[in-house]
Amino acid sequence: MKKILIVDDEQDIVESLKFVLEAADFTCYCAYNGEDGLRLAKEIIPDLIILDVMMPKINGYKISRLLKYDAKYKNIPILMVTARSQEEDKLIGEETGADEYITKPFELNEVVKKVEQYLK
Amino acid sequence: MNTNKFDKILDMIKILVISERKEKCDYFSTIFNKNTYELTCLSDENLIYDMVSADNPDVIIIDSQINSLKNLNKKIKNICNNTIIIFLVASKIDKELIKYANAFLTDDMSDDFVMSTINVNLRMKNSLEMLSNSNKDLADSLYRLNALYSTSSQFSGTLDKAKLIQYMLEGMDRALSFSLTCTLSFCSEQEPVLILNSLYELSDELIEALKLRTVLNYNSLFEGKTAPAEISTDSLKIIKYIKYPASRFTFSLFRFDNMFAPISLGENFFGCVEIFKEASFTPDDATCFQTIAQQVSLPLKSATLYQEIIEANAKLAKLERLKSEFISIVSHELRTPLTSIKNSLDILMSGRCGEITESAEKFLSMAMRNVQRLSGIINDLLDLSKIEAGKMDFNFAPTNINTVIDYVKSALSEVAKSKGLTIITDQQTSLPDITADAQRLEQVLTNLVSNAIKFTPENKTITISSKLVNSKNIHINDYFKDSIKLSEGDYVLVCVKDEGIGIAEKDLLHAFDKFAQIENSLSRKAGGTGLGLPIAKQLLEAHHGAIWCDSELNKGSEFYFAIPVENVLSPV
Repeated sequence: MKKILIVDDEQDIVESLKFVLEAADFTCYCAYNGEDGLRLAKEIIPDLIILDVMMPKINGYKISRLLKYDAKYKNIPILMVTARSQEEDKLIGEETGADEYITKPFELNEVVKKVEQYLK
Repeated sequence: MNTNKFDKILDMIKILVISERKEKCDYFSTIFNKNTYELTCLSDENLIYDMVSADNPDVIIIDSQINSLKNLNKKIKNICNNTIIIFLVASKIDKELIKYANAFLTDDMSDDFVMSTINVNLRMKNSLEMLSNSNKDLADSLYRLNALYSTSSQFSGTLDKAKLIQYMLEGMDRALSFSLTCTLSFCSEQEPVLILNSLYELSDELIEALKLRTVLNYNSLFEGKTAPAEISTDSLKIIKYIKYPASRFTFSLFRFDNMFAPISLGENFFGCVEIFKEASFTPDDATCFQTIAQQVSLPLKSATLYQEIIEANAKLAKLERLKSEFISIVSHELRTPLTSIKNSLDILMSGRCGEITESAEKFLSMAMRNVQRLSGIINDLLDLSKIEAGKMDFNFAPTNINTVIDYVKSALSEVAKSKGLTIITDQQTSLPDITADAQRLEQVLTNLVSNAIKFTPENKTITISSKLVNSKNIHINDYFKDSIKLSEGDYVLVCVKDEGIGIAEKDLLHAFDKFAQIENSLSRKAGGTGLGLPIAKQLLEAHHGAIWCDSELNKGSEFYFAIPVENVLSPV
């Protein structure tokens, strides 16, 4: 079973993503802040990461950059979840290495479809 | 100053007779009335010089028989310019004397002749003196006028209040050459402040005394009224400018002539100024002083108003920025919980958590519909705040408007059909490309067509048309023609025509205002944020285009937008 890491400080969102992804036969690991997310990513080496942008301590962009510059993890697809605001739009232009951006509020089915695409 | 002339007339006329002949001295003392003339007879050379330089006689009668006449003449001429010099000669006149003489007398002249000669010369001297005094007054006035003029041109050159006060003092210095000015100014950074402009150094005690005097002056201005600020000698800050610090003023300063004036205009009080001068001020000085003090108040008032405008503008700009930030933060914060709600609804509706009854599904879809509506509002708010902040990014590229129309038609046909409406298009073929952001135009057109669908009853038609028109042939109705200025050239004109409820005349002008959906009850029924049209307007303006509408209540509306075919778009 493919492993998916979900990192978001919003527990409700993690919960709903976990629910639909597990229903689609993925194993889900969850982290509720950037630090745990980064540690877990290195520990379990997931097949895909769903990463929220705005988080305390370490934001999603930084985590994405750190992983993408490390040969061990750079092939893990990263789906970045944003709540599209002006500052973030500016940051999106920067090189963060994320493979895909998903804007809140998103369709759960869409997310599942995207995940399946990457893990075909 | 003018009194000097009269003093002279009232004064005795001073006559100096220089002669070694006693009979001549006696003779003159008999003919000059003692009440009018003050006669002195001298022959000693040294005494003569002393007398001439100290007493400055009006008339000198020189006996040409005196010794060392030549020396005497030269020296006397050197000492006094304005004195009438008359020579007493024998019958023949020495040519040398002519250049020194105002008149000649001979020994054998009658008394009347002598008196009339002297009087004629005296009158002439008086007239000359008056003329020279008038000239001097004129020169003074001219100088003062110049000083006033240059001061007032300085006044008009700045809106800095502290500088205006400085110019006022410079002007007073030029026009009045004062010993000291004490200016209480409300126009500096730390107000109020007492500015002392002094010729000489001031001791601490003297400064204390001046402070007290200024406070008393200030309070006297507002007797029985409320002063703009409470001032005490302790709190008054001093700024001191000393021209010649080597010397000092003493308390005798308070015996100097002085003048005082408030610097104010109507309700605005900017300060007051007191001026001291060792010599006395003339009435002209007083006028000049008052004029300068009054003149400075007008630019001070303008400066005050200017400052208020600047502050108000800064406040507005800050508010505007805060508003944008607020919207952006709020939208951001709303999105996250909205996502959770939406996800939960999605999961519930998927049936994975158990069978859903028919009525449960009804309410779940209701919740879902409203989640979508809420997220639409948030998107619109974000769009609008982005456009207003100038942060909206546009991808301008050659775009065919018919492609946009086809896309919107196909996207909304289903929705229209479900309401029993038909969307038809009337496109002019082979339209030229326009430079535009196709996605934004889709947004505009989607909004217009969605509105038409919302507000049109069943079995009616919505028409989307496009054509190429020159600006001369674009007719904008009276409601919008003043606010829309299209530059000359060719435009692609798009019209969305419906057979809906229409817009009342009084609401037409506000159709593109924020949150201006006509009749709130209806808008709630129809759904929507009331932001679609203002966003469309802003998006089109970013394309150098315009949007307007024609409408008739209960008949239908026509929304038009025009985008120039040729233009160089700069990012907005």
